[in-house]
Amino acid sequence: MEYLKSLKLLQIFHKGESIAEMSISGNQKAIMMKEKLNADFTRKGVFTGLFSGFTWGLNSVLLGLALSMIPVMGENVAIFAIPLAAACINDSFAGLWLLLYNSGAGRLKEVLRSLKTFPGQMVCVAALLGGPIANGGYLLGISLAGSAYALTITALYPIVGALLSRIFLKQQIVPRVWAGMMLSVVGAIVISYVPPEGVNSETFYLGLLFASLAALGWGAEAVLAVFGMSMIDPKVAINIRQLTSGLFLAIFILPIVGGWVIVSQVFTLPGTLGAFAIVGLAGAISYLAWYKANTTIGVAKGMALNGTYVMWGVIFSVVFLKSPLTQNLVIGSLLVVIGATLVAINPKEFFKKGDVT
Amino acid sequence: MADTLPLRFRMLHYVSTVKKASADEIMKALKPEYGTEKQFTKKVFVNHLLDMKANHILDDNDVTLDDEGELVIYYSINDEGKRLLKKYLPKGWNQT
Repeated sequence: MEYLKSLKLLQIFHKGESIAEMSISGNQKAIMMKEKLNADFTRKGVFTGLFSGFTWGLNSVLLGLALSMIPVMGENVAIFAIPLAAACINDSFAGLWLLLYNSGAGRLKEVLRSLKTFPGQMVCVAALLGGPIANGGYLLGISLAGSAYALTITALYPIVGALLSRIFLKQQIVPRVWAGMMLSVVGAIVISYVPPEGVNSETFYLGLLFASLAALGWGAEAVLAVFGMSMIDPKVAINIRQLTSGLFLAIFILPIVGGWVIVSQVFTLPGTLGAFAIVGLAGAISYLAWYKANTTIGVAKGMALNGTYVMWGVIFSVVFLKSPLTQNLVIGSLLVVIGATLVAINPKEFFKKGDVT
Repeated sequence: MADTLPLRFRMLHYVSTVKKASADEIMKALKPEYGTEKQFTKKVFVNHLLDMKANHILDDNDVTLDDEGELVIYYSINDEGKRLLKKYLPKGWNQT
């Protein structure tokens, strides 16, 4: 009986945190209250991660709608300038929405303070990887290969993130996580196995390449950002990220691809501008949730839950845009989701904190 | 005078200067620096502490109940937290 009592007490504690390490100055009730607080915090992080996937799926579909409101301007413009201009407008609007949000919450000073520190500057580097490189690649991928395929390839970014977090954050990855990730890969292959009819295959594969670049950029972004957010507020970090990305695209990338023509077009059409503002709001909410989830529940779990945007994107497309729901899309999306879930369950069993050198 | 640190960074730094500290104690200590700001709320401080615990840079091994039966968690900095501070604390700030 005494043994069972001890066992029950043991189960109350977090795994990996032995009683020997605990200096218990309060009573058992206090310990249980703390455990509940931490468990609720983690659960909230899981829902935040899922919410980030949901809103990113919504952002993708809304962005597609907003893009369709831009007048036809020739094939070359459509392939490069429009997606990159869209990435710029998306991130800039998101950055402005977040600036309003942080200003209202009295965190405006935090933005400048954070930029003066090394972790804040690392968030800027993360912004360049996740913004111009990943978002640009993502939109070019959609433009060249079609959204169903590009969305799925880019959903593989948790694998990249897990690999990078293993290398740079020394996080351990156990077989079950690999199994979950492989399931996601298989899901992606199921979706992208047959190119859609009538698509130029050269353009199609170039699109897949850009989508892969997006996966690489986002994975690297998440690892760098989580490092930075150990010491700075995630709500401030994501603001820095969106503004850095939007500004970099506007100043250095758009002039090269002729993207400013698109931006000025958008600004002359109030309806289209409004649509992009709403898309940017969805993007701001999604990224805010993603950064918060990543820092609360860890890189791999946050990314895997965010990766469910593939499923949400397909659901939104089918429901709102009446897109055809093919068998491959259904099975593939399901596999991606099951894989992401496998990765997400009980992260403490999967990602033990290792020695960081 | 060194630049004001981002609040989370400063909280980590403060915890490194004491053996252990609760959210209320940290708030009391940092009031002269951040007290006039809108972000200076218990909820914000608790959230930063929970995040830093989740990121394995703070430990929360000491708990008690106050007179009103409310939970009080005392946080202390661990080796990983100390390592980050040592490496990334800006000039003008001392790690004690």
